[in-house]
Amino acid sequence: MDFKSDSFMYGLGICIVLFVIAQSIFFLVRAVRRAKALGIETSTVKKTISSSAVFTVAPALAIVATVITLAKALGIVLPWIRLSVIGAIQYEVPAAEAAVEAFGISSGISQEITDPKIFATAAWVMTIGSVLPLVLVPFVLKKIQKGMNKVASKDSRWSDIMSAAAFIGLISAFIGRALAGSGDKFVVGDGAGVMSVTALLSSMLFMFILEKLADKHNINWLKPFAMPFSMILAMILVMILAKVLPSDIATFEWRG
Amino acid sequence: MKKRSYSDSVHFYGIIWDIAALLVFLMIPIAICIHLNVWPEAKYVFKGLLPVAMIFYPSAIIEVLTYTPLLGAGGTYLGFVTGNITNLKLPCGLNAMENAGVRANSEEGEVISTIAIATSSIVTTVIIALGVLVFSPLLPYITAEDSPLTPAFNQVVPALFGALGISYFRKHWKISIIPLAVIVIILLINGSIGSGVLIPVGVVVALLSTHLLYKKGWVK
Repeated sequence: MDFKSDSFMYGLGICIVLFVIAQSIFFLVRAVRRAKALGIETSTVKKTISSSAVFTVAPALAIVATVITLAKALGIVLPWIRLSVIGAIQYEVPAAEAAVEAFGISSGISQEITDPKIFATAAWVMTIGSVLPLVLVPFVLKKIQKGMNKVASKDSRWSDIMSAAAFIGLISAFIGRALAGSGDKFVVGDGAGVMSVTALLSSMLFMFILEKLADKHNINWLKPFAMPFSMILAMILVMILAKVLPSDIATFEWRG
Repeated sequence: MKKRSYSDSVHFYGIIWDIAALLVFLMIPIAICIHLNVWPEAKYVFKGLLPVAMIFYPSAIIEVLTYTPLLGAGGTYLGFVTGNITNLKLPCGLNAMENAGVRANSEEGEVISTIAIATSSIVTTVIIALGVLVFSPLLPYITAEDSPLTPAFNQVVPALFGALGISYFRKHWKISIIPLAVIVIILLINGSIGSGVLIPVGVVVALLSTHLLYKKGWVK
């Protein structure tokens, strides 16, 4: 049996999954209890849980796609573990690539890895490369929050606007990339182009319509789902356009 | 008094879970090495790590500094363990706080954001595990380059931030114009700059320009 996906590796994967779920449940239960104590309505808590769950489905499927990308070289279990914890799409692929290239294999992760030594090296690089936030968070989190609270107590109006501004700065980075970012010349679908703008604008439009609809007709259940629905509808539209548009239009990326 | 004890306990348990996670994660490569009975030489690990660390360590520091105030304490401890913050946990938390109508820097915001991020972590982990364990024979077809679903998966990020963006832009359009314009101009000059650099730039530009507008009394 392939050492990359033997029962030991699967066992390791299951342990990690249980750890992550245990931690999430721990914080979830405590937060729900606290919400009750603060007088937040049970319906709000329920809505938060259900809309967050729906919201997560599409991005989670995209993460599964990354697992598959890496599975060709590393087997399915290591990428599964790495993307269940700390992992992020934009990080794991280059990390695996760099680890393999350290052995002078220029094809990187496009070929299956059969040498256990290279496999173990990839596991080390992917792990050590990603754990820094866990080392930093215990040291800086309290300090940052203290700073935030200071601003909030001095000028609460400004502190509200400030957090909105920070969100907008973050959102602008991604929207900017969808409008004008370039990707790899040889990769389809990673740069700004017809598809990224379609996804961006249509999801804005769907969101606008669904929010208006929910407000106008007082459809309360729809409000928390407006965002996940808009996202999924936009992705379906992209899928349809990719099928029906001539491929040189559908795959056109103005920045490469 | 009670308020304080919740926040303190989040930090207390958060740090315990954080350190436990660190140890568990480091055990993965160790377990693999013991199981396969191979110990890669340190020089290969360092050689592989160097280019990765040069790019990702600075961005990890920036991520911690940028996201921590946005995620809240519970969300931070959870989010940095389960990962995929930018493309999943953070937007999920923002959406939840927006829907619940709570302020990000209030305790209600902290609680709602923690609930959203915890739920999202569980769902993500379950979906990935199901994908791997149950659907792995089918997955290559779903995610193949010529699969009809591939164009949609390529556009998850624009679809996500479009929907999230419009609600913020509608409410705060005055303070949105400058950061968005600056980011687009930067990208027109050099389109290959990644989101790791653009995010801190966007946040700093947004904070500075908004502060100016606030001081001038143009935003209230």
